[in-house]
Amino acid sequence: MRNKPLSFSIDIKLNKRRNLLNFDYSIISTVLLLGFFGLAMIYSASGSYALVLKQASYFFLGIFLMVTAAMSNFRKMEPIYLNAVWIGFLFLILVLVLPNSGTANRWINLGFIGFQPSELMRFLLPISAAAYLTRNPQINLSDWIIVLFVTFLAFILVFLQPDFGTSAIVLLSGIMPIILSGLPWRFIIYSFLGGIGTLPFLWLSLMDYQKERIYTFISPEADALGSGWNIAQSKIAIGSGQFLGKGYMEGSQSQLDFIPESHTDFIFAVIVEEFGFLGALGLFILYAYLIHRLLYVARRSNSKFAKLVSATLSIILAAYITLNISMVVGIFPVVGMPLPFISQGGTALVVNMITIGIILSLRRST
Amino acid sequence: MNKFTRERFKTGEEYSRALFFLSPFIFLFSVSLFQVLNLTLFQGNKYQTIAESNRIYQKPINPVRGFIYDRKGTLLVENIVQRDLYVTPAYIEDYPTTLLQLSNLLNVPYELLEENFARSKKKINKFDSFPLVKALNEEQIAKAKVNLDLIPGIEVKATLKRYALHKETLAHILGYVGDISSDEIKRDKLLVELQNTQIGKTGIEKEYDLILRGKPGIQTQERDVKGKLVRVLDTQGAEDGQDIFLTIDQKLQDHLFKLFENRRGALVALEPKTGLVRALISSPSFNPNILNSIVDVDEVESLFSNKESPIFNRAISGQYPPASTLKPFVGLAAIENKVISWDKKIKDDGKFYVEGDPRPYRGWKENGHGRVDMRKAIAESSDVYFYTIAFDLTLSGIRPMLDSFGFGRKTGLTDFEANGLLPDKKWKLGYKGDFWFKGDTINLGIGQGYILATPIQLAMAYSGLANRGVIYQPQLIQPEDEASYKPKKLAEIKLSDTNSWEKMERALIDVISARNGTAHKVFDTNSAVIAGKTGTAQIKSILPGKEYDAIRENPALRDHALFVGYGPVKDPKLVVAVIIENGESGSEVAAPIVKSAINFYTRVSNAE
Repeated sequence: MRNKPLSFSIDIKLNKRRNLLNFDYSIISTVLLLGFFGLAMIYSASGSYALVLKQASYFFLGIFLMVTAAMSNFRKMEPIYLNAVWIGFLFLILVLVLPNSGTANRWINLGFIGFQPSELMRFLLPISAAAYLTRNPQINLSDWIIVLFVTFLAFILVFLQPDFGTSAIVLLSGIMPIILSGLPWRFIIYSFLGGIGTLPFLWLSLMDYQKERIYTFISPEADALGSGWNIAQSKIAIGSGQFLGKGYMEGSQSQLDFIPESHTDFIFAVIVEEFGFLGALGLFILYAYLIHRLLYVARRSNSKFAKLVSATLSIILAAYITLNISMVVGIFPVVGMPLPFISQGGTALVVNMITIGIILSLRRST
Repeated sequence: MNKFTRERFKTGEEYSRALFFLSPFIFLFSVSLFQVLNLTLFQGNKYQTIAESNRIYQKPINPVRGFIYDRKGTLLVENIVQRDLYVTPAYIEDYPTTLLQLSNLLNVPYELLEENFARSKKKINKFDSFPLVKALNEEQIAKAKVNLDLIPGIEVKATLKRYALHKETLAHILGYVGDISSDEIKRDKLLVELQNTQIGKTGIEKEYDLILRGKPGIQTQERDVKGKLVRVLDTQGAEDGQDIFLTIDQKLQDHLFKLFENRRGALVALEPKTGLVRALISSPSFNPNILNSIVDVDEVESLFSNKESPIFNRAISGQYPPASTLKPFVGLAAIENKVISWDKKIKDDGKFYVEGDPRPYRGWKENGHGRVDMRKAIAESSDVYFYTIAFDLTLSGIRPMLDSFGFGRKTGLTDFEANGLLPDKKWKLGYKGDFWFKGDTINLGIGQGYILATPIQLAMAYSGLANRGVIYQPQLIQPEDEASYKPKKLAEIKLSDTNSWEKMERALIDVISARNGTAHKVFDTNSAVIAGKTGTAQIKSILPGKEYDAIRENPALRDHALFVGYGPVKDPKLVVAVIIENGESGSEVAAPIVKSAINFYTRVSNAE
């Protein structure tokens, strides 16, 4: 019984020292396990030490930032959290304004390091939104509208890059705090129906290659050597892994480059080809356990802010995991989404680890 | 007081809502797990097979095709290196540009390249290469090699091409090779593993293809997604084809081929005592190398559409009326059936009448040959004599003898022979829809009318005369040891009086040696003694009121000239059948060739 008046003051003093390192170590070890496994799989998929080394340096930066965030006191971070979203906007606008090579403006190059502002946004937005919504004991309708407006702004900026997958995630990351914070169900249902109404317009605004991905998903066999090729090869890799897999570095589909994007978006296919169904099951259990532990923070926390942030970030993480895997196994359209903690890609890894760190810090509110 | 602490107890349904919005992801997550289970365990074997076929490439190793030699080991067909420009469509990004570059580089018309490219591209996997420009010359090879790196997707490959050294001379015997067609694969599944090699299409190349082609080997390679070789997993070497030695005497063949210059016709020369074929000519001929390696499609097309049919093998597939060359066999039939005796004379006044038909059957000599016996009838080729005995013999008296000498039947030399035609009543009713008339028998008596024979059949029948009734299986493959070679008997004709053989031979010798013989023109004392018979085959029957002189104005309607003979008579070394299409006179154009063949063969070929 924590709220007994008599023991209250003593409690705080004792916690101050102990709490600093009082993490949920099961979460940390799961993340570390996934990260190291990811490095090994990137090596198998790409055969490049340089790539693994680069990813490893992001991974260690991620560990440092995760632990730092975990040790922070989220209660003191309030002004930072409330305004963090502006940093996200700054970069999102920069990335659109700055000249860029290729068809999509997704990267900001700081000379020594490059990163994707949209990845940043998808965790800054929910934190700021949660902070804004919980700044007063009572949430007004206008609060929700403002958050919704800001969310749409962020969504559109990412969509313009264009990056369909991440823009959907950004949308979800802004809307989730609104819904979780107690928006009446009737509003949720109305906007859901309204959202369906905008789908035709959304379809019209898709780029050709995005439309093609959806066609491909609907009938991958129609164009087995064109865009259906990726999914077909990915399924061959997964299926040929059978129960125990072909062994580390032994997957012919991945080693002979039949799997596209094998070290990034399609790394799950490499895992199943080389470690079989058993390997896939292990990974599913790890991910399920991680999400379960993260949600536990939301359940046990008695801070509304903590609940909103940890629940939203957990859902976003779960969305990444699920959408990536279901895309690779061929039950969902191809959207460019990395597999958290495993796919090669620095920004996503660091952001995911900071996310974990923040959730860990929220845990100490319990 | 901190705002966060103020609302510490005011949390609502965040957690349950989170679970609610997480549920679609939980659902997708579960379906994904089930899909992994489905792919790996339920469909694992199928995908394992597909993954293997992705990875493994079975590269055929082509065997080297066997050479062909003549009986004395003279090389007739070999394989020569040809360099072709190959392209791999998968590595060509923008093919019009590449083709334009190649067109300028190799000095080949762009349209030609485009046509070849479009035609071949459809047939093959995009990672497989195919020849775009064949048989590069030295300059093109040099230019192509220098620029290989600048133009992706092209390479110069050396392949072995079939090369017939004596070109036209032996074209019909040897035949030619070509790419395997899809029809051929349907008929013979074994050919699938021979893709990219050539197989025999006609002649010896086709008939002995299994021996010549050898067995392909296979290299099992692991290849990456771009078709690049990663490593070799296994190599099974190819088994090269075996060489073949023909019975043909290249020198004789060459000598005789020259005599056919600018003439349409055919020749078969074989050893009567063994059936070994020493020369086989069909004229006009063609250069088999044009077909062995098709470089110019137009050239091939003109070869096939040529009205003189150079590709057609007249020696075994050409069917001609045997004309007077049939007379010895009709004569023997008459003797055997006792229709006539050797000494019995018949008056030949140039015309033969059948009761109830006012129209005469005319002999080739206006006023006839006077009173002729068999010997004179053969030597002078009396038509009336043979009209008479044929009339008396009737069809059923003539046919068995002709049949036993092999008329109307394939000799079995190759698979591509024609049957010839030995007509009977049933055949006429079936094909002509008419009954057999006496007139048909009378025409058959002088080898005209419906009967047709191939040059090889004529040579075989005459070898029966030379061998006193024994006919040996003709063949083109040289036995390993000729001295001990025991040929297979195809027929053994028994005559009731064996002296008849000598008597008929004497008559056939007279054809050349006797002053009144139809081929006495070619007689000379230096030559070996030859027994033979001239023939003049009418291709258009002379209608009443129309003379031959009118007909011969059209060269294509002129008579075919024939001569079949053997020699030297004492020990027959060679039997030769010659037909010259529209050559008119057997004694003038055909007999000299037969004489030359026998003399050449006995003097030159056997002298070594």
